[in-house]
Amino acid sequence: MNNPPLPPILVVDDNHDNAEIIRQYLETRGYPMTVAHSGDEALALFETIRPAVVLLDVMMPGRDGWEVCRMMKQHPELGRTVRVIMVTALDEWQDKREALQIGADDYVEKPFDLPTLAATVQRNLEMQRAVAS
Amino acid sequence: MIESILLTDSDQQAIDRAVEQLDGWRAEHVATAELARAVVSHGGIRAVLVASTDPSVLREVVERAHASGIPVVVSCADDTIRRRAVELQVEEWYRCPSDPDEIAQRIRAAVARGLPHATALADRVERVEYEQMLHDSLTGLPTLPVMIERSRALFKERGELVVLYLNFVRYSKIEEIYGWEKLDAVLETTAAAVREFLDDTAMSTSRLMVSFTNDDDFIFFHVPAAGVAAATENEITEMVARLQRHVGGRIEAQHGEDIAALFDIYVGRAHVYFSPKIRLERLIYRGIREAANASRSIEQRERARRVADLRSSLRDRAVYVDYHPIVVTETREIFGYEALARGVMRSLRSPEVMFDVAAEADLVWELSRLCRSRAIEGIETRLQPNELLFLNVDPHDFSDPVFNENEVKYPERVVIEITERTAIKDYPKFRERLKIFRERGFRFAVDDAGSGYAGLGSIANLEPDFIKLDISLINAIDTNFIKQNLVATMVRFATDHGAMVIAEGVERAEEFKAVKDLGVHLVQGFFLHRPSHLPPPPPRDRSAISGG
Repeated sequence: MNNPPLPPILVVDDNHDNAEIIRQYLETRGYPMTVAHSGDEALALFETIRPAVVLLDVMMPGRDGWEVCRMMKQHPELGRTVRVIMVTALDEWQDKREALQIGADDYVEKPFDLPTLAATVQRNLEMQRAVAS
Repeated sequence: MIESILLTDSDQQAIDRAVEQLDGWRAEHVATAELARAVVSHGGIRAVLVASTDPSVLREVVERAHASGIPVVVSCADDTIRRRAVELQVEEWYRCPSDPDEIAQRIRAAVARGLPHATALADRVERVEYEQMLHDSLTGLPTLPVMIERSRALFKERGELVVLYLNFVRYSKIEEIYGWEKLDAVLETTAAAVREFLDDTAMSTSRLMVSFTNDDDFIFFHVPAAGVAAATENEITEMVARLQRHVGGRIEAQHGEDIAALFDIYVGRAHVYFSPKIRLERLIYRGIREAANASRSIEQRERARRVADLRSSLRDRAVYVDYHPIVVTETREIFGYEALARGVMRSLRSPEVMFDVAAEADLVWELSRLCRSRAIEGIETRLQPNELLFLNVDPHDFSDPVFNENEVKYPERVVIEITERTAIKDYPKFRERLKIFRERGFRFAVDDAGSGYAGLGSIANLEPDFIKLDISLINAIDTNFIKQNLVATMVRFATDHGAMVIAEGVERAEEFKAVKDLGVHLVQGFFLHRPSHLPPPPPRDRSAISGG
């Protein structure tokens, strides 16, 4: 866990508690974390932070997770490499198809447990590294 | 009116009175130990006022508040606290005790200073949105309004402009069959090929620009250089032919001949002449419309020609069949073959094109009959006795009186593939028909399963022996965990129902490994085998004689 610095992760959730729990848990595992509380804030931070992985809540007031995911994936420079994990309360075939359509890479079902979340982040980072190299 | 909340750990009465002076505000008091947590968990907070003398509390509160874009005011009991507050770059501070007026003033100032942060945020989001509007992210080409702005001056100066409208037909088909990711990749290749072509084309003295309509068409502007005549009709025709060859070649090289055979480019053109009396944008938009219409009428003409080609193909039975192996995932042994009918004529090579044309000319049943009988011939001439033949049958074909369960000598060796994409209107009647076939020994596969939003219920309805996964689920499955999850669900479902899952379109070793790990029973795709065919009947390709 020492040499290469871990890549940045962006957590997007309008629920401050949720975002904070995820932030603290992943931060103790060494990830540089940033939190956004709305879709707009996430998009504004996107270019500055250049996250390797975005944990994106689907249900947010204003610009929802689907739209944020779509815009991030269309980013001319970062869209290709960023891995977007949708955090969703839904576990239906239809929702997964929707997630695919929008370009998401993975999803975590709510309520999630933190080890599962960490494992999901981990496998997406590995994939991201493989694709980027 | 939305209420603004001042969150504070202080119970100084002056603060409450200060808040009373602020319109639409109220104070929310929490214990010092709770303050940092409340900053992030509490909604509607406009500002935080900290009175604690504990340096670590102060630091934590400020960090969290700033991370959420909330301004902080510090009530300073002494100079040490004041210095810390300044160090932490809080928006405002005041000496405690202060009178309510002073405190209200500080809160107002802190909120005003906090504002640029929020505005900057909105600005950045807006910029991201605008950038997406100016350039198509996929092709990197400017959108139309940008192109019009750029050509404005030049057009005025030279007085004329040629608009070329490139209508790419059947790109939507690629999306329908292979999924949007494939179409995106093809469009990217197309745009790169178009740009390459422009760089190579010797029109250096003229200005040539290209834009993308966000659907699947491209628009060219050609502004002739000063003193040079605009390209003549012949020059443009010649250029279009070269472009067509160039783009087609690139697509075939990168995405295979199946995809290359699917699309056509029809180019319409319009000449626009500058007139000071008419608004320039209107002139250009009219030109684009005219060029688009021209491209559509060329498309119509071409279609009529293909219908004639199809009629003669049906007469001459000019259809041959490619047999694409389906193998057992574990052993890679051949399990069966999918029959893929193709037209002998170059213009009808792709089965999708062929059936498109047949649908227009109301010849679907005739074409289906021909393709079926051609495919069935292969059971005896081409297949080993233990191998199955997978035959594509459209649900509408079951209404064809000529198509019946006695058409085949070895029904137990035939698997009928039914496309999930095609809507089945009369379900009970359809299932009745299937039952008759099933009793004769035929087996059934659901084709393109999982291509729509419809879940497993619609598949269960057909009680298939095989479930063929849609190509879009397999394409790049090794890097997408959602696809893996969907396929795993499908495998579980199939196993529960005594069916086998077939992964179609496996093109790479990584994809093969992924579907194998997921327990997919059977695999079909270029990674293992390419479709191969019996020698086609001697070509009677009239389109080749007439020059394509």
